[in-house]
Amino acid sequence: MKKFLAILMALAMVLSMGTFASASSELAGEYDVTIWAPDAAVALTTSQVEAFNANNEFGITINATVEPVSEADAATNMITDVSAGGDLYFFAQDQLSRLIQAGALTKLGQGAAAFVKDNNSAGSTLAAQSGSDYYAYPLTADNGYFMYYDKSVIPEEDIDSLEKLVADCEAAGKNFSFELENAWYNAGFFFGVGCHSDWITDNDGNFISIDDDFNSEKGLIAAKGLYSIVSSPCYVNSSNTDFASGSAVVVTGTWNYATILEQLGDNFGVADLPSFTVDGQEYHIGSYSGCKLLGVKPQEDAVKGAALNQLAQYLTGQECQTQRAADPDQGGLGWGPSNKAALEDPACSNPALVALSEQNAYAIPQPNIHGSWWDIAKVITTDIKASDGSDEALMAALQKYDDSIAAVFEMTDEVRNAFTVIGTVAGTNWDADLPMTADGDVWTSNEAFEMEAGTEFKCRQGKAWDVAYPADNFVVDAAGTYYVQLDAASGEVSLVPAE
Amino acid sequence: MNEKRHMGLRTLNRVSNTSIYVILTIISVIWLLPFVFITLQSFRVESTYQVGYVIPKQWGLQNYINLWNSDFKRWYINTFIIALASAVLITIIQLCMSYTLSRFRFKMRGPLMRFMLILGMFPGMLTMIILYRVLSDLGLTQANAVPGLILVGVASSGMGYYVSKGFFDTIPKSLDEAARVDGATRFQVLCKIILPLSKPIVIYTILTAFMGPWGDFVFARYVAFGTSAGYNVAVGMYSWLTNDQIARMYTTFCAGGVIVAVPVTILFLCLQKYYVEGVTGGAVKG
Amino acid sequence: MKQYSDLEYLRLSKGQRFLYKLMAFFMAIPRAIGHFFLNIGVYIKKAAQGVANECKDIVTTFTQGDWKTKTSFVIMGFGNLARGQILRGLLFLLFEVVFIFYMVFTGGYWMSMLPSLGKVGPTSEYNAVLDTYVTAYNDNSFKILLYGVLTIFFIVAFIYTWRVNVEQNKLAEQALRSGKKLKSDKDDLRSMVDEQFYKTLLALPMTGILVFTVMPIVFMVLVAFTNYDGAHNGFSNNLFSWVGLDNFNTLLSWTGGNGGGQSYSATFGEILTWTLIWAFLATFTNYFLGMFVAMMINKKGIRLKKMWRTVLVMTVAIPQFISLLYVSKMFARNGLINLSLLDLGLIKQPLPFWEDPTWARVSVIIINIWVGIPYLMLITTGILMNIPADLYESARIDGANAWQQYRKITLPYMLFITGPYLLTSFTGNMNNFNVIYLLTGGAPTNPAASGAAGSVGYTDLLITWLFKITTGAESQYYLASVVGIMVFVVVAFISLVVYNVLPSIKNEEDYQ
Repeated sequence: MKKFLAILMALAMVLSMGTFASASSELAGEYDVTIWAPDAAVALTTSQVEAFNANNEFGITINATVEPVSEADAATNMITDVSAGGDLYFFAQDQLSRLIQAGALTKLGQGAAAFVKDNNSAGSTLAAQSGSDYYAYPLTADNGYFMYYDKSVIPEEDIDSLEKLVADCEAAGKNFSFELENAWYNAGFFFGVGCHSDWITDNDGNFISIDDDFNSEKGLIAAKGLYSIVSSPCYVNSSNTDFASGSAVVVTGTWNYATILEQLGDNFGVADLPSFTVDGQEYHIGSYSGCKLLGVKPQEDAVKGAALNQLAQYLTGQECQTQRAADPDQGGLGWGPSNKAALEDPACSNPALVALSEQNAYAIPQPNIHGSWWDIAKVITTDIKASDGSDEALMAALQKYDDSIAAVFEMTDEVRNAFTVIGTVAGTNWDADLPMTADGDVWTSNEAFEMEAGTEFKCRQGKAWDVAYPADNFVVDAAGTYYVQLDAASGEVSLVPAE
Repeated sequence: MNEKRHMGLRTLNRVSNTSIYVILTIISVIWLLPFVFITLQSFRVESTYQVGYVIPKQWGLQNYINLWNSDFKRWYINTFIIALASAVLITIIQLCMSYTLSRFRFKMRGPLMRFMLILGMFPGMLTMIILYRVLSDLGLTQANAVPGLILVGVASSGMGYYVSKGFFDTIPKSLDEAARVDGATRFQVLCKIILPLSKPIVIYTILTAFMGPWGDFVFARYVAFGTSAGYNVAVGMYSWLTNDQIARMYTTFCAGGVIVAVPVTILFLCLQKYYVEGVTGGAVKG
Repeated sequence: MKQYSDLEYLRLSKGQRFLYKLMAFFMAIPRAIGHFFLNIGVYIKKAAQGVANECKDIVTTFTQGDWKTKTSFVIMGFGNLARGQILRGLLFLLFEVVFIFYMVFTGGYWMSMLPSLGKVGPTSEYNAVLDTYVTAYNDNSFKILLYGVLTIFFIVAFIYTWRVNVEQNKLAEQALRSGKKLKSDKDDLRSMVDEQFYKTLLALPMTGILVFTVMPIVFMVLVAFTNYDGAHNGFSNNLFSWVGLDNFNTLLSWTGGNGGGQSYSATFGEILTWTLIWAFLATFTNYFLGMFVAMMINKKGIRLKKMWRTVLVMTVAIPQFISLLYVSKMFARNGLINLSLLDLGLIKQPLPFWEDPTWARVSVIIINIWVGIPYLMLITTGILMNIPADLYESARIDGANAWQQYRKITLPYMLFITGPYLLTSFTGNMNNFNVIYLLTGGAPTNPAASGAAGSVGYTDLLITWLFKITTGAESQYYLASVVGIMVFVVVAFISLVVYNVLPSIKNEEDYQ
């Protein structure tokens, strides 16, 4: 028996030494991996995985199946069925929260998080973050928009002024394509006047609250700027490559560079966004700068998970990002890098990327945004377009926006102002708000509760603790069935025995 | 007097016939134009995005070559397999169902028909998620989406018995009864008497079952998500018109449209006669 | 409302009769509902009586039965086997064995989890050595609900089979006692292609419908009572659980909750109204215009009939996702139509086909005519040719002009024959996903109705809204399920009304 134990212990020691000695050699092996990449990037990704297989120091061999799945659809596809989704997938950063919430992204370990932080630009690092944790690897930092224009219509000196651009388009009978009925684009006007809109998330990807000032004096200036373009007959709500169909200016991003260059030929022009003028003051239109990210699906097998993280780090490292940044005719994709070393590489710049970096001076790194915000915020433009442009109408549009985002947390004014009973009442344990109804300042609980002596509770407003009475918990003296009553004016809480 | 009135009528007739020709010509043009446009644009090679003119400045087959080099072949074969299998299996199922409900009188017949009527009132969209899960547990999703789609299509096809039941209802029952008196079993009645008379409805059912999968889109996309090998033509081609691809793939989409539409249309036009008979014989009877 | 006697009723014109019936139907609703509630007691009593009778029958079968019958209560099919009906006996036995195995090995687990829909969600642990998080998946609410439902189906089927098994023993004993011979296996097999042929024919289709239509619908109805959504997908993030009627409250309450400051019920109302308008217009524009085209082609003296028909029919053959997507791009702001009109100088501004609510709604209806006319043309052609020619002949002799002939002969005849088709076509149009989704995707956005539940557009039908809820940012499956149930209620109500008012639907035997 003793002998047996000794052998067992020796064995355990050998095993544990092995684990600590070299984590890397444990990763050696073959892995079947599905990678989702946008159609255009499939071929390049396949060859990059081959390069990884040939060169990695861990002895990892990846048998990759690369499927064309657009980075815009990644979340929708992953949410269909996480267990059947791609192991590694490209996605646009605005889907980060949805994906974390769906359990489709693995949290990065300390080493991986350090890799992301050390190697990527600040904005792209932020995009991979929820709370203080990292959930993805930045692939690009080029998801922004700027302006392409037709030099035969727009004179060089007009490109800095929105009003002049609109006038030029109107005079030439040409269109101005700017997809302002899309929150990603119209937010640029608000950022241009110094507004902000930040969603606050916890570490699990849940949204806690929003810090937003679109509905303000500054916001009104932005709304006026928006009105000046959407009210023009030349305005077209589009970010397609519209030059062939009558546009002289198109606001879009790097992904349309090749097509537009082909369409315009010698008349190709590209620049950062213009400024708009309200009450004699100029405001440069801002923008979102966003990223594409590479996500790793949660794995049940730790070794495969670690191998996937190694592959992800290679695919988002300097070498691969530089390859992607090359022009399409040189086998690249023209994607602007997020990697700091790749950013400084002169091989990574074409006119579009230059315009993007100029615009980036005015851009807000796109944070984590609640999925429904896009639907709510795009309506601002729709409302402004339908309005007469008066201050009242513009303010009404902003007010409606404000109400709508408040409703995301189901905080209608009614709910925000209502008092509720919370405590060890009616079988609950400080986890449920029991409704009350107001009669003037006096609030009474909707039902009578059977309460033991010693039951504790408070009445709080808007399901939050900012306003709650009494200051210390109310303690019931004698058992009985009571209605809870609160005088909101004095903050006095009392029990009313039920009949 | 009489003569005059006659003359007037005849002129009127001629006038109205002329105007009918004019209207019919206009209608035909409206109906055909989009297809002419698609065909023309599929031969445009000077650019791949949407443009404001119809007739290509440079003609060529580049778009068809692109198709050949893409996954389109695979999608086309997938769709063809689904269409073929559906055509056979759905026809069998629907004929069983409609023949039974037309010819037999049994206790559960009324409740059964009412039950299926009520089932048909639920929006089918809802069951997409759950059907996906069932197929996924059977291993029939993504790369294996083809058998999965056939299974779902065939399994629920019994609900669409109305048209062929309407047709069977028009075949006199006295034929069955005469044969039964002669000692034929029900099975023999079906094979020897009813089926030979049902050529139009059988062809109609085959035709509609064959054509359905070419346009199946929402559910097919859901089942084959993220796996190009499991796509059908509709799912695959739809992704070419999304914002990030339309500039590169628009004319290829047109070429694909032509390749999909031409065989189906030719088949349809050849069997048009039966289709019309099926529609008029069965569809309106409900 | 005035009640008419039979004689008075017969004196009414067609339209008046229709209105009368319609009124009568709605007037009868309160009474029917009242009747239903008054009779609830009676129904319950009847049901209880039925169950009691069954039980009594089972007990008498047991007490009065011989040992073969008694054994069959535990070992199904034993009586059949003992009495020489090998095939039946084996089938019963096989079913029982499969059932017991299933219940012991998996069914029991699913049933025990059904009330809670799972207890332990996925967990994630940090592996410091490999610097990676490892996930362990545990309970799966979705599977529990799915297999729970299946298990219940299976149990019901088992109870029914067991009852049949008992009944068969009773009948066999009675038959033997009165000196009759039992059916042999050969008889059974023969009857499967003869008297019982319908069972053979229906077996496969009905199994398919049960598993792939009924079961999913039951499942989705149950989802309406859970909180299944993107944040509670039951497997990879959070489990979902039963929430009772909360979701119905959310949809039906008149206070906010939807992002645009508008309640779900108001949004639902708006979309429902448009859905009904759309279904009505789409059905009847197609119907009358299709008939008109068919009459033009059928008119005596018009040549090339076949060619005209073929041209129109081509649109039926070409898959909708090609034709509709293409047409949708054609009518876009910078599409072919607008550009050529601009070039010709006919307009100065592009026409807002998909941008203005009214334009968009009119456009989808008109394009739907383009889609629908060929089909209606085919249907009506056949019927028009079936109208007896002598009816027209005698009408002509009476001096009726074309319009009068149409009103007095063609239209009534058509309406009578196509009544059921119109109904299915109406409900079909209510759920016409393809046309709306491929043409507009619901656009333009309706600001008031859009918000937390995704963007709702002016051309959205209930069915496309449902799709958007499911695939939108929040993936609110439970809400989609509630909306789906409401769609069902609306469609069922309309069908019921029409069914009660239209004469030609009721009696199917009339056609035979």
